[in-house]
Amino acid sequence: MKSLKMKIYLLLAILGVSALMGFATLAKAEGTALTDQDLTSVSAPTTTDEIAAKGDPGADFTGNVRDVTVSDSKKGLTLADLANQAGQNKIAINFVWTLICGFMVMFMQPGFALVETGLIRAKNANHTMMMNFMVYSLGLFAYYVCGFAIQMGGVAPVANLGGLYPLNGEHVVNFLGKPWGLFGTKGFFLHGTSYDVGVMVMFLFQMVFMDTTTTIVTGSCAERWKYSAFCVSTIGLGAIIYPLFGNWAWGCGWLSQLGVNFGLGHGYCDFAGSGVVHSVGGLTALACAFIVGPRIGKFNRDGSPNAIPGHDLVLVLLGCFILAFGWFGFNPGSTLGASGNGALRIGSVAVNTMLAGCTASFAALLYMWIRYGKPDASMTVNGLLAGLVAITAPSGFVNPLASCVIGWIAGFLVCISVEFFDRVSKVDDPVGAISVHGVNGLWGVIAVGLFADGRSNYGGSWNGVAGGVKGLFYGDAGQLVAQLIGVATLVGIIFTMSFLWNWLVDVVVGQRTSAKAELAGLDIPEMGALCYPDFQLKAQDYGSHIASQAEAVKSK
Amino acid sequence: MRLIALLVIVGGWAIAMSGLFLTTASTTRILFALVGICVSLFGILGVLNQYYLSRAIWKK
Repeated sequence: MKSLKMKIYLLLAILGVSALMGFATLAKAEGTALTDQDLTSVSAPTTTDEIAAKGDPGADFTGNVRDVTVSDSKKGLTLADLANQAGQNKIAINFVWTLICGFMVMFMQPGFALVETGLIRAKNANHTMMMNFMVYSLGLFAYYVCGFAIQMGGVAPVANLGGLYPLNGEHVVNFLGKPWGLFGTKGFFLHGTSYDVGVMVMFLFQMVFMDTTTTIVTGSCAERWKYSAFCVSTIGLGAIIYPLFGNWAWGCGWLSQLGVNFGLGHGYCDFAGSGVVHSVGGLTALACAFIVGPRIGKFNRDGSPNAIPGHDLVLVLLGCFILAFGWFGFNPGSTLGASGNGALRIGSVAVNTMLAGCTASFAALLYMWIRYGKPDASMTVNGLLAGLVAITAPSGFVNPLASCVIGWIAGFLVCISVEFFDRVSKVDDPVGAISVHGVNGLWGVIAVGLFADGRSNYGGSWNGVAGGVKGLFYGDAGQLVAQLIGVATLVGIIFTMSFLWNWLVDVVVGQRTSAKAELAGLDIPEMGALCYPDFQLKAQDYGSHIASQAEAVKSK
Repeated sequence: MRLIALLVIVGGWAIAMSGLFLTTASTTRILFALVGICVSLFGILGVLNQYYLSRAIWKK
């Protein structure tokens, strides 16, 4: 019996995620079943008076059987009390993990703000900073009102967060003999039954992801986007467009059910959002860049591009590091827990994230060094970010070697893509957002269908299909089909929705600032204050062609 | 022109989706999906982008 008590102390000290299982095992080892009666003789290692007198510098006594909540003081400690405590500890670990990761993702906002502001000219710094600042509030408000409900309103049950049972409404239509989940119907305004501790954790975590999407667009439209148009455009993205794809992929919508309904692997798999977050943002950035048009002076009359250097590489590099740090919340946090259901893969997810960013920055640096003779700082930054974007979807499903390959390809891809949009498509994207997030987001989605190794096991299934996710290289071609359907949906439906929405904003509000404001810099005309009032800003000379381009903007 | 471009883009998605109903072979479904993606990309970069390029301010 004494040995049994010692074992019980040990289990409580470990904080008992698996306390109940442990008891059962121990009891079997002793050859007797554990009962409530056995627990009556369990006492704490020392009295509270002793701890109060001496303190507990060695943490030998703090946290013991006295800290287990007893439901009935007359009965004393029961097995049910222990089991409930263990269950709550598991969910508490997952809540804390998910919230802290969410806070880290929220901290990516200053990272984006610094990268984008550093890459644009000083005369627009206040405007760009304020766009990055306000996506937080605008997006949050839109997501609170309806975005979250549309995306996650039918996601229950999520075991890691205690079930999330109030989120049990998914609008499903039957078409050609299959159910198609289109949008969630519970959780508007976080009102009614969605006033729930688990739902709050899920809301915070999903909200900061949505925020990342909205901030991507501000980069591609920087230096000529009318602030009022930006506000309206962001609300639409956060309220409807992002949540719809989020529902299809993460909220039990039709893409996630491709495995169940069509036998396509585990359905569309996007661990942390290469598609949901980055491709949606990148494709919306492309749609907006079309509508807003290039900056005055970006292209010459023959179509050749001019480089418009940013004003502060220190901001760019610092912002990139902040983003890389935040990504450790983005990807590992997407387990939605650290305890149970295979969530211990968080270490693997974090290392995959790290490795892909590393190889991608290497690849971009190498590409620029070989092609242009110098290791370009801004493209190396974009390389790192591209690798992080690309590994976001596969990070939970692949091994470290695959992460290196995915990152390596992303590093080259971003350089080639930036050149393509600059020189062939002639789409003006001041920070490379379309290439970093749009193109590499799509690459990340495809990479799941190629490199997923089937070793992940998040509670035994994913998207309702048993077993680990396997890509083409590990024998499941159906998974690649599901991923390609996801890509087709992003390119075919999400881009179209984003374009239509921003076209409407253009008609009603007008997307582009006046030529006069653009040439002067947007800080005073749009925001009413310079970011650097004590600095003397120097205008860049792009030749006489500027005047005719300014006239063209006026006549738009 | 913009509406035509959007129709082509959505049409690409429809091609990709049709593979799910027309066949059960993964290879054929991959082909359908790839063709659909290419059609959508053509709609974006080949049709919609051309529309905006034809009106680009730097050509004026």
